[in-house]
Amino acid sequence: MIALVTGGSNSGKSAFAEDLACSLGPQRTYVATMAPSAQAQARIERHRRHRAGKSFTTYECLGGIAPQLLDSTNDDVVLLDDLGNLVANALFNVHGNMEDPTRVTHRLDTELLQLCGGHRHVVVVYDQAGSDGIDASDQTLAWLTTCGTLACRMAARAKVVVEVTCGVPCVLKGVLP
Amino acid sequence: MLLVIGGIASGKRTYVRSLGYDDDRISQTVDSPAPVLLGLEEILRDGPLSSQDLARLRAKEVVVCCEVGMGVVPMDREQRAWRERVGRTCALLANDASQVVRLVCGIPVTLKTSEVGI
Repeated sequence: MIALVTGGSNSGKSAFAEDLACSLGPQRTYVATMAPSAQAQARIERHRRHRAGKSFTTYECLGGIAPQLLDSTNDDVVLLDDLGNLVANALFNVHGNMEDPTRVTHRLDTELLQLCGGHRHVVVVYDQAGSDGIDASDQTLAWLTTCGTLACRMAARAKVVVEVTCGVPCVLKGVLP
Repeated sequence: MLLVIGGIASGKRTYVRSLGYDDDRISQTVDSPAPVLLGLEEILRDGPLSSQDLARLRAKEVVVCCEVGMGVVPMDREQRAWRERVGRTCALLANDASQVVRLVCGIPVTLKTSEVGI
C-alpha cells in the first residue's frame, strides 16, 4: 500500500506515519532525509528516540533515494520522512547553488515511482507549505513547486492520503487499514 | 460559482482542467470573457477590486485563488494589506459560491457544497 501523510510542520505527521508503518508489517525501512547540522541534531535525536524499539533499518538518503533501496524488491514497509528534506537536499548543493528544478522533479519522481514499485508498503511524509503568502525567493519558490508537484503525484498513486492536524488524522483519500 | 483555493503547487489548475475547462477558457484577468479566473491573489496585488470588477468576478463560473494567509503575518504594511484583501475577497466569494473546494496534494477537499450546480 502506498500512503501519503501530510500536514503542517510539527502537526504529528511523523508519529502518525510511524504508527501506520508499524501496523503494516514487521520488516521496516526508514528513509532518513535530514542533513545533520547543529540545529537539526535535536530533531534527528527526537525522531530516533521515536523510532527506537520499532526495528527500523535506517538508510540515510540525502538528496536522493539510496540505490540499494531502488534496486531491491521485497515485502518491507518503507517510511520516507520527509519529502521536503529530500527535495531540499536534491535541489541545493552544499554551496547553496540550485540545480534545475525540472530535472530534480523528474529524477525524484522516477526514484519515488521505483521505490513504490519495489516494496510492498511505502509511506511518504510531506510537510505542507506554500499557503503563507510570503513573497518567496526564486529558490524557495522552486523548492515549494518541486515539493508540491511531487506530493500531487504521490497522492495520485497513493491508496490512502491522510492530513494530520494536532496529531488527529483526517483521511482525504481511501480508507486507513 | 465554484471557488477553488489551495497552496502553491497544490494542483488547483490541474483540478480546474479536470472539470473540462481547457486553457483557452482560463484567464488571469478579470475583464476577460473566459469563464475561469485563475490567480485572484495576483489581481489583488495593487489594491481592492472596483465594484465593476467584483461584479465580473461574481459572474465567473470558477475563481481560483492561491491561499496566502496560513503563516506568520508579515511586518511589511503592503504585504499585510494584500493578504487581508485576498482573505476578505475569498470570504466574500465563498459566501456567494455554490461550492468551495480546497486542494491538498492534488486532492479536492470540499469545504462547501450546495444542491445547485456550479
